[in-house]
Amino acid sequence: MSLVVQFLGNIRSFVLAQNGDELRNWLLVENNVSDIYFKLARELMSSFPKNNTDALEKLVDKCLPEEDDVQEGKGSPWPGFNSFIKDYLEYWRDIEFGNTVKVHARLSDLLISCANALANPTYGIMLLQTSMSLSESLSKLVMSLVRQPDLLSQIQSGATGDDAGEKKSIVELAADIIQKIFTSCLADRSSGRFQAPQGKKVAVYLFANLTLKLLFACEKSRLAVQMFTNLSTSGPALSLYPASQRVTFLYYLGRFNFDHGDYLRAHLCFEQAYLQCPPRFQKHRRQILTYWIPANLLLGRFPSAPFLARPEAAGFAAIFYPLCGVVRSGDFLNFHLALNLNRDWLWDRGLYLPLLYRLKPLIWRSFTRKTFLLTWQASGGAASANNRAPSLALADVVTTACYVQKLMEGYVPANKSSSMMPPPPKRTPHINSIFMKAITNNAAPKQLMPSEGLIFGNKMPDLQSIEGVVAGLVYAGLLNGFVARQQKRFAIEGTKRHGGNPVRAGWPNAYQSIMERFRESYEEGLAAYNAAESGEVPGEMGDVPGWVRDVGMGF
Amino acid sequence: MASAQNTSKSDAKSAAAETKPDDVTVAKSAAALEEDDEFEDFPVDDWAPEETEAANGTEATQHLWEESWDDDDTTDDFSTQLKEELKKVDASKKR
Repeated sequence: MSLVVQFLGNIRSFVLAQNGDELRNWLLVENNVSDIYFKLARELMSSFPKNNTDALEKLVDKCLPEEDDVQEGKGSPWPGFNSFIKDYLEYWRDIEFGNTVKVHARLSDLLISCANALANPTYGIMLLQTSMSLSESLSKLVMSLVRQPDLLSQIQSGATGDDAGEKKSIVELAADIIQKIFTSCLADRSSGRFQAPQGKKVAVYLFANLTLKLLFACEKSRLAVQMFTNLSTSGPALSLYPASQRVTFLYYLGRFNFDHGDYLRAHLCFEQAYLQCPPRFQKHRRQILTYWIPANLLLGRFPSAPFLARPEAAGFAAIFYPLCGVVRSGDFLNFHLALNLNRDWLWDRGLYLPLLYRLKPLIWRSFTRKTFLLTWQASGGAASANNRAPSLALADVVTTACYVQKLMEGYVPANKSSSMMPPPPKRTPHINSIFMKAITNNAAPKQLMPSEGLIFGNKMPDLQSIEGVVAGLVYAGLLNGFVARQQKRFAIEGTKRHGGNPVRAGWPNAYQSIMERFRESYEEGLAAYNAAESGEVPGEMGDVPGWVRDVGMGF
Repeated sequence: MASAQNTSKSDAKSAAAETKPDDVTVAKSAAALEEDDEFEDFPVDDWAPEETEAANGTEATQHLWEESWDDDDTTDDFSTQLKEELKKVDASKKR
């Protein structure tokens, strides 16, 4: 008996027994398999050459006949399955593992064929494990191809999208195939959304996670939008799935929201992912913390010392504490320094730019607060509070901001005795100090990048730009008061409510202010929905699209 | 709890103040060691809720974050420089 016939005979026995595990164990596609697969390939090449596809098809149908009378608990081959098995044998006949481009094409086709067979409502489920294994192999291959630009360009030049002229990347194409399987699992009606998953539904989050892993590895997370929408619409509750799948899914959902600038949603996902992940999985917890900490920094919260002392946070204090320090003191000068100390680490994880641009409002908050503390105290502070409403002169912020801007451009104050600078030499009588000051300060200003500088590169802060900054902070809820344009001052509101403390009144707790803004924005959406009685139902404030919660389960 | 928060706040502050380039180099090397940045598959499929911090309810996250971190110190070097600049500009306006 030929090897092909023996192979098909075994496959048939697994199908009749509905043994999905054995099907996966036999339907292997990678080159690290036993010699028997290569013997099978040689036999297929000699007995069923490429110009004799019909013969192979006939053999498959002969060896895998559709059963007429299938007993309860037993299975039967079906046309889609036979088609997949024929494609599988052709895969082994034609495969050249040295030609990665070709392997990619054949494996993609094979997975599509497997997905079609899986869609069978009666017996498709027995291919669930095989679909997973083939999807993993394709993901692995695509991830390695993305790192090989020469091979990638060969594939890209041949790939086309559905619409004429539209080209899809190989990542997109692979994700499309795996998402097709995900959709097939999602559409399974064996169980309801809030019941223990049955049938193909058991694999919804396995395929979702595999797709997400692929998309994030290839920096294409935006392509996950459709999947999250599908889950929100008809997905089963996440709480019904094993912990490993929940944690993995929440990690990727958090990353997705972080990448899209929604730090509250990102925080909610990372928080649950972290809390649901036992301490023994230190590496996983570290990965979650890598993004959870920055998400909280951007929400106005700092990691506590005991938190950063945990083993999974080893080394993070040196990365994040300098950033916390500059936010706390409003120190723009050291902000870029603190970021650049670990620029590569932050950049590789997609954290550098969000921190560079999104931490600035918090630093401005501390900077204006510091300017107020200095000027309010100097003008008599609390003693004069009864005579006039506390306010901050915008001109004073211009003064302090211009000073910092000049320092950033390389200006060296002649009388500076800072720890950042070397101590000035002792004054010697024969040097003209005025001349020295002139030449020091006349040095050409350092050219700053647009992201550097307080406003934009080398633009010197003026009244107009500072008014814009302060108005922006008021709008964001980080400052409590209003800009009195005639007086050119920021007028603080609610001092009496804060026990006569204008600093606490004007600069409310950053985290609570940001949360309050989220709540207001949510309530505005709710009011707009109630008024129009149309559009998308707002849901709860803490809802995260894609995260299907089951209230009864509490998670 | 308030005292615990205060302690952690001052710890955090001092740690931030004491971070020197040397410390950062150490952090850089530690970070560089993490070549594999992938969220790996878990070796087990499921585990008991008791194994996780989520079992502690809302208490689990109480000590993880500092929400009150404002700095009222105006005697530090940066504040002193700003104060001097404000004085200087104010004086030049009065002239």
